[in-house]
Amino acid sequence: MSLRAGIVTQPRLASCYRMPALLLALGLLASLAFAADSIVAPTLPRERFRSGEATLRAFAPVSEAAHDSIVKLNVDGATVALGTVVDANGLALTKASELKKGKLTCWLATEKEVSAEMLGVDEDEDLALVRVHARGLKPVQWAEGEVAIGQWAITPGIADTPQAVGIISALPHRIRPPRALIGVQFSFSATNSTKPSIERILPGLGAEKAGLKPGDIIMAVNSQAVTNREQVVDALREFREGQTVKLRVLRKETQFTAEVRMMAPMAGQSDDAANPSRRFSRARVEFSERAEGFEQAIEHDTVLQPWLCGGPLMNLDGKAIGINIARATRVSTYALPSRLVKRVLANLRSSSKSPATAGKSASPNRR
Amino acid sequence: MAASLAQAAATTPPASPLSPAQTNRLARSFRSGQREQSSSAGAGALPAAPRPTPSYRSDLRPAFTKNVPTTLVDLRSMEQHVKALAARVSPAVVAVQVGSGSGSGVIISADGLVLTAGHVCGEPDRDVRFTLPDGKTARGRTMGANHDNDTGLMKITDHGPWPHAEMGDLRQALIGDWVLALGHPGGFDLRRSLVVRLGRIIRLDPDALQTDCTISPGDSGGPLFDMHGRVIGIHSAISTSAAENYHVAVTEFYEGWKLLVKVPAGTKPAVKPLAFVGVLGEDDPDGCRLTTVDEGSPAAKAGLKAGDLVVQVDGREVKLYASLLRWVAETEPGETLRLSVKRGDELLSLDVKLEASPQKRP
Repeated sequence: MSLRAGIVTQPRLASCYRMPALLLALGLLASLAFAADSIVAPTLPRERFRSGEATLRAFAPVSEAAHDSIVKLNVDGATVALGTVVDANGLALTKASELKKGKLTCWLATEKEVSAEMLGVDEDEDLALVRVHARGLKPVQWAEGEVAIGQWAITPGIADTPQAVGIISALPHRIRPPRALIGVQFSFSATNSTKPSIERILPGLGAEKAGLKPGDIIMAVNSQAVTNREQVVDALREFREGQTVKLRVLRKETQFTAEVRMMAPMAGQSDDAANPSRRFSRARVEFSERAEGFEQAIEHDTVLQPWLCGGPLMNLDGKAIGINIARATRVSTYALPSRLVKRVLANLRSSSKSPATAGKSASPNRR
Repeated sequence: MAASLAQAAATTPPASPLSPAQTNRLARSFRSGQREQSSSAGAGALPAAPRPTPSYRSDLRPAFTKNVPTTLVDLRSMEQHVKALAARVSPAVVAVQVGSGSGSGVIISADGLVLTAGHVCGEPDRDVRFTLPDGKTARGRTMGANHDNDTGLMKITDHGPWPHAEMGDLRQALIGDWVLALGHPGGFDLRRSLVVRLGRIIRLDPDALQTDCTISPGDSGGPLFDMHGRVIGIHSAISTSAAENYHVAVTEFYEGWKLLVKVPAGTKPAVKPLAFVGVLGEDDPDGCRLTTVDEGSPAAKAGLKAGDLVVQVDGREVKLYASLLRWVAETEPGETLRLSVKRGDELLSLDVKLEASPQKRP
């Protein structure tokens, strides 16, 4: 973790090695440089980093006040998420897709471990409602008003200082669902001025089942006109796996409408290159498994471990501006804004009260 | 981690005691000295170098000059300032699209000069599409890039005046200074627009500016602002740690301006051709894993294959894809790099002769 380990400019040394003219000069300077290096490393101590220990201590008043509004959820003894307490009787919201099958318990700020049970799941926003069997929990207070870019975004845990801090990087916006396919390929040489003419039909996907053929030209997606490949791809990005889209198709001189079901890409069909930040860092960081497809999300620059999502994102007043819902990229986290959370909570409360629907949403692991 | 470090020590020659910053500097003075001679003709018609806007540390709020903020009062004061600053500087931060590549940049003059990273800019005289934070687009051209220090310059050719940021001065900066990183990671996104991150200067050498701002690869070319709202750096490279990233110091633009501005028609642009190896890769704990090797590329000719793990280049350890790219950028076409490559259980040594980038001008 030392700074020197991460130096990417190091390769520049190579250019000198290939220049005989420079080697002499290098020899002269080497001893000087060595001496300078061993005196002081001119770097900021880690504890003073934006998210360093010393900086986090300034946020302690916020974190301490939030203690009893946060739980740490464990499945079979391993922490999988934080939870946001939403009423005094122990109801809490958390990130649904992290709650795999197993024995559900909670760590509290009092260092007690208590049992918990799942009451219901909102799959669209990936929130689960759980009951924590504990007393003395305090519901979070929701912040009123809009968030602003640049304001502090604090992720408290059950300790005295926050898990992490950052700032609001981008205002709440829609996060599109993971890519789903209709199962066609366009010519790679297609440009923005060529019509979206299908070159190949992928076997086993919706387009084949709907009878589309190579040479067909897509004219509209759900009555939205499209004139090139990019527009088709963009229009289809709005739809999730399992949804059906109506395509207006031109085949020779006739036009017809085809209903095509969107399907999840199988290995090899997915285009991971579409998301360069994830492609780049796949080998290095763990992301949330479910990190796309939210109606609204606040983006903040906190580097949050995936197992620390589900808790509240707070402002300096100790009010919740949302719930952390996903470590989105190598360097950013999404939080569902409080307004959306409150709406989902109201739905979950009413559906988990009626036994008929509670059973339907009992399985938290579906996407 | 300890094990792999020990292994590395056994197989690599001892690291040069010269710090990268010092070596860079040597290399640069050597190379740029060569270049200035060849590009000194006709300099009169070129856009003048920008100047730093004076700023004073005493103008900063006290919370920004403490070792760390210690109270909620400090934090509130910082927040108030950062919110206002982000709103003030945002309009000048653009997404840029050059050919199939995209990145970020910052407008620094009313007539549309745009600072960016050298690796975003590429060759001079290419078409650029700029997107402002509100979604408006503008057309322009690349002017020049210096791949030794990753500086790049572009110009909006559509009529201004354009919103622009003031240039800053790193001579006043100190390690620990709070900074704001802006950019359009992953290209322009109208739903999201630009992304703002807060951090501190964690390393400040004459040639290396590092912060803990959490930038990502698509941020390349975006601006780093000081708390006066002046550009002090341009995002250049990420490192293994999310909290230790690299920016081109604004000083490089002042000092290397002549190499960046377009040379009048008829003379050769003062930019070396970009070397090309023809691979895509990703970071791997043990080296850089090649994901794609372009057919017919220098890499393919040398016998590299997708899936190969590059562990050393010219005897230096490689852990990041970015390191490999950077190394290639440092090398002239025609020069040869020796790659140590793990393929299964085999350890191969392959010589790659770099070629000029095949990228055609549009």
